[in-house]
Amino acid sequence: MPAHKDILPPELIKDRGSLHPINHMKDSIMNLLISFGFEIVDGPEIETEEFNFDMLNIKKSHPARQMHDTFYVENKSNLLRTHTSPVQIRGMLEKKPPLAFISGGKVYRKDDDATHLPMFHQVEGIYVDENVNFAQLKDLIYKIIYSLFGEEVELRFRPSYFPFTEPSAEVDILSKEGKWLEILGCGLVNPVVLENCNIDSNKYSGLAFGLGIERIAMLKHGVTDIREFYKSNLDFLSQFK
Amino acid sequence: MKIAYSHLVQHIEENPSIEQISDRLFQLGHEHEIDGNIFDMEFTPNRGDCLSINGLLRDLAVFYTVDLHQEVFTEKLNELLIDFENLSESICPQVSFLKLEIDHVPEIYKDSLNNYFLDLGLNKNNFFTDVSNYLSYETGQPTHCYDANTIKGKLLFHEIEKNEGFETLLDKKIALTGKNAVFSLNSEVINLAGVVGGKSTSCSVNTKTVIIECAFFQPEAIIGKSVKYDIQSEASHKFERGVDPDSHDRVLRRFIKLVSEHANIKDMSIISYKSKDNPIHQITVNVKKINQIIGINISEKEYLDYLSKLGFVVEEGFIKVPSFRSDIKTQNDLAEEVARVIGYDNIAVSEINIPKNEKASHKAIENKLRFFLLDHGFYEVINSPFINLSSEEAIRVDNPLDSNREYLRTNITNSLIDNLLFNERRQKDSIKLFEISDVYSSSNGINKKRNLSIIASGRVGLNYEDFSKKINKKYLTTLFQEILPNEVFDFKIVSRDFLNTKIKNEIVTLEVDIDKFSSDILSYNEVSKSPEGFVQFNPISDLPSSSKDISYSIKDFSKTKELQDLLLNYQSEIIKNVYIFDYFKNEKQEEIKIGFRFVFQSKKTTLNSAEIELVYNDIVSQSLRIEGISIPGI
Repeated sequence: MPAHKDILPPELIKDRGSLHPINHMKDSIMNLLISFGFEIVDGPEIETEEFNFDMLNIKKSHPARQMHDTFYVENKSNLLRTHTSPVQIRGMLEKKPPLAFISGGKVYRKDDDATHLPMFHQVEGIYVDENVNFAQLKDLIYKIIYSLFGEEVELRFRPSYFPFTEPSAEVDILSKEGKWLEILGCGLVNPVVLENCNIDSNKYSGLAFGLGIERIAMLKHGVTDIREFYKSNLDFLSQFK
Repeated sequence: MKIAYSHLVQHIEENPSIEQISDRLFQLGHEHEIDGNIFDMEFTPNRGDCLSINGLLRDLAVFYTVDLHQEVFTEKLNELLIDFENLSESICPQVSFLKLEIDHVPEIYKDSLNNYFLDLGLNKNNFFTDVSNYLSYETGQPTHCYDANTIKGKLLFHEIEKNEGFETLLDKKIALTGKNAVFSLNSEVINLAGVVGGKSTSCSVNTKTVIIECAFFQPEAIIGKSVKYDIQSEASHKFERGVDPDSHDRVLRRFIKLVSEHANIKDMSIISYKSKDNPIHQITVNVKKINQIIGINISEKEYLDYLSKLGFVVEEGFIKVPSFRSDIKTQNDLAEEVARVIGYDNIAVSEINIPKNEKASHKAIENKLRFFLLDHGFYEVINSPFINLSSEEAIRVDNPLDSNREYLRTNITNSLIDNLLFNERRQKDSIKLFEISDVYSSSNGINKKRNLSIIASGRVGLNYEDFSKKINKKYLTTLFQEILPNEVFDFKIVSRDFLNTKIKNEIVTLEVDIDKFSSDILSYNEVSKSPEGFVQFNPISDLPSSSKDISYSIKDFSKTKELQDLLLNYQSEIIKNVYIFDYFKNEKQEEIKIGFRFVFQSKKTTLNSAEIELVYNDIVSQSLRIEGISIPGI
């Protein structure tokens, strides 16, 4: 029998908290992109139509600008940003190429159902330099997807449409259940957008991409209901240590 | 949009399978699902030209030999006499009216018209409307049919801005408000242009004389109308995305041909109004630029071959964009066409090297604070900014989701109080939460702050040192003084008087502008780390939980670890958590007292006491098999 003085008290288990899984996912992606050479820029969540739409080549007639898709505030003088792209615009107006920015944060769209929330998170990136092309964009996207989902993952590029990129693509990965899941949107920066930011589109070209954080966090953690992220339930949050 | 496989493949010489066409559609960027023999298409908003059989075949022609074999009426047509005036040519730069009179209304449809209804499982309306709907499906150009006997008087196209009632041909009564482009007859609105026709002039199953309107409307004048008036309209879906302004003559002649295949036409006449010619957009041939954009190396011949298959015409060094491709304006647009034909997945990657630059750590203070709080058991939360309470500085949302979410929060603390009560209702007795977020207010413009807010209540921790200590102002003050001894923080006690709760624990909160924290915090060495991987989420239970404590007396100290190992690793489907809440070593009496708390919760059902007792008794029984251990009272 050990002497009484040799008996140590039980291990004192101090409860550590946890980062919110969405912020953890956002930080992980942004740290990955920083390692590729991107620099973080921030911008406001309350934006102007000019930065959120006009500068991004989103025409006045575009459905996204309608009251049923975008939250407007203060008698339509401003809006809640519908994507993090206006931050890229602010970055391009401030600095000259070559430039490589990422921005991440909350965005807002007028949706509220089992699969869409009025507030969600995005990470976006832009790289502008001489001779940036679509084949390089593909290389970057492969690197991002492989880092997130492993090199065994099967992915496909589909032509798509975003007013601020041309050509535009959406990227899907093949799930274990054999279903294609949309992961991100990307493309070459539309020359109109470069010119809007006083960048000579004959000399420079750019690539851009954007990821929805909730979608990726749901896939990585196996969360099936997006609303779980925002209930602040300690039984939920304590699982992400 | 639903498109039948058979309606496509009948025009394709190579007779590809549905799977082969599906692969090609994905390559071209046309997302879809297959339901039996039907493609359920979802086109991107820039490809309004594909919203038809012919439109989709134009794209597929780059891979297959396509033969439309759709006959049109080719003979000369008389001029229609109609009292019409276009007062808004900027919205509707061209419109045609075709009048047809038939000898009888056919009851049985033939060939493609019949297959349209049969294969897509659609309901018929009346003959002329049915032909119109089919033609929209075949050509992409919506037309509208008026019963000619109802069109007597002055017909006007104009944009109105007044409140006016309007009954659609689907018997829906709507109140027009704001600006609307309409056709009016003798000052009465008979057609919400590009969206839906009116009941008063609509065709019926008896209509033998019809006036068919075929128009081009500027998308800007149509967008949002179907949503505004809650009308399902395939026509507006097409007009919003842009239709081919040069298609009218062919569409109306095709209309005549289809009608003539089903009835004898007694009389027909047509009139077209066009305020200006449609410009042909031209882009310089520049294969070098295309190769540069995509990062490939194709020849000019190959490049132009792709474009000609897509309907582009090359003349004298210029590429003429076909009238149905209003989305093509620049070299980048053409590059996307080429990339689609090659296939995005077939474009080889080219290594990217972004110049690296060393930058100062982003949000260093904010991140340090997060890990400091994690170390002390705080959980990070994210809340929606939408609230129903208004303060003078709160920014109002012009178009909120509902009246409960009409303003933007001006502080985070109120959200955290809701989070705390939510967790208290789930029997949590140690709650520590924090959130860092931008908050906005309005006074002399929009003001932004980035705040840290924390809330804490209940036990300091769920371990034998902290279990009996309660969170209070002093606890939090001490915590922050450890890392920022020179700063004073304004911790607040939240009154529970209006919180509709019987729990008495003190609620302590703090909300501070992140900018107020000094860089002293950067010297804090955190214990917590970011998780390295991504744990698999284990679904949680919303059913009630209950807890049971067992306190042991240990005389044989060497058995302490054995007991801990047994209890802390005890496996049961209904045990959610177990921890040591009490530990006392009495040297004098040579006794260790140790208390374990078991939290019971099922994912399937609310537990009754018998179910809990069963597991509890097994725990007791197993633990008492260890010699030198007893449970006082048992």
